[in-house]
Amino acid sequence: MADIVPTSASILVSTGLAAESTGGAAAQLEREVVQLFDAFRKPVLRYLLGIGLPVEDAEEIVQEVFLALFQHLRRGKARHNLRGWMFRVAHNLGLKKRKQRGMIPGAVGQHPVADPSPNPEDQYANAQQQGRLLAVVNALSEQDRACLFLRAEGLRYREITQTLGMSLGAVSISLARSIARIGRAAER
Amino acid sequence: MEREKFHLSDEELLMASDGELSPRSAKNVQSHLAACRSCRARMRVIEETIADFVDASQAAFDSRLPLAAGPRALLQAQMAAIAATHPSRRLRWTTWSPWVLAAACLAIICVSVSLIPRGGRSPRHAVVVIPRSNLTPGAVVLVSKEQVCTGEHANNRPVPVSTRRRVFQAYGIPDADARSYEVDYLITPALGGSDDIHNLWPQSYSASAWNAHVKDQLEEQLRGMVCSGDLDLTTAQREISRDWIAAYKKYLHGTTQR
Repeated sequence: MADIVPTSASILVSTGLAAESTGGAAAQLEREVVQLFDAFRKPVLRYLLGIGLPVEDAEEIVQEVFLALFQHLRRGKARHNLRGWMFRVAHNLGLKKRKQRGMIPGAVGQHPVADPSPNPEDQYANAQQQGRLLAVVNALSEQDRACLFLRAEGLRYREITQTLGMSLGAVSISLARSIARIGRAAER
Repeated sequence: MEREKFHLSDEELLMASDGELSPRSAKNVQSHLAACRSCRARMRVIEETIADFVDASQAAFDSRLPLAAGPRALLQAQMAAIAATHPSRRLRWTTWSPWVLAAACLAIICVSVSLIPRGGRSPRHAVVVIPRSNLTPGAVVLVSKEQVCTGEHANNRPVPVSTRRRVFQAYGIPDADARSYEVDYLITPALGGSDDIHNLWPQSYSASAWNAHVKDQLEEQLRGMVCSGDLDLTTAQREISRDWIAAYKKYLHGTTQR
């Protein structure tokens, strides 16, 4: 069969010199950021989905967050509370993305969750309970929802205040309000 | 009213549960809880509600998350690109002493001299990440979508030693460095790629991010899309041959469930 040369392709040849010039410190920093990526990618992604972003946008934002983290560390900036820093950057980028897309804060949990339970009655009961829970979460204010999802990812209240720009008292009131609503929904 | 004042508020219970109270307040709350069955019950409900919510949110979202390998590779490649093009502030030349600066200049001169092609040989440490279009534009055999999807062309046939040598010569890779590379198909045979030299290029084993494993993911994704009718075969061949890293970003970046 005749061979076909299908396209002209772009020229892009990278050399290993760049890696050499940046030295061991840069490589070490890259490894550190990859470790943080492995540890926090999922929590940050979940948070972004929680505030209503689609998966594709959330993944793009996560890339931006960790590249920003890389730059942050390269500049020798503060290393304390990197977890709070990552969520703060993710939150701000998430709001920006939603604005760009003209999105109204979307409902969460629109995709059904696979239930591993083999018992149909259990499945039904779990789906009912989860449906009630998600309905309550969807009805929360945007700030209450953000607060709740940050708490679900294990952030301390002080980290939540820094991420959302709320006072400590406002965080505890918001969380207590959300949890009371979820609890009432679960009782029904 | 007196009774309500006596009990702990939801916020106090929540903060106690989350370990967010000051030591003094925490001690007061613990004393109250020890004596108040009603507040203990409310505390338990709050803790259970939080635990249920955490479980439910993780279950709802984790099943939707793409695999980490692709995004991780993309991040590594982008960090490497930043490190290469924007030296760290702490390494800026303006902050270097004259002796360090002189040594750096000398090193740059030495490296530049070593980069000058001599008899078609390329620098010793060059790492080819994307094939050169003039040498490897990509080449395909006439094959139908059905043949691609039934796997008739799925095997990457071993490249003969003589062809490998020609590829290395074309790319100016010295014999000593040839062990650091594999000769790979630009358009995989699984997508109709041929074993013509125009479709072969030296892929470095030492490329940390954009390596053969990552390219394998792209090839699988494109073949899946071709076979499911989401992408036509010619487009898939063109995209992977034009710039496979760009194709990876386009088809796999955050869209592994596409």
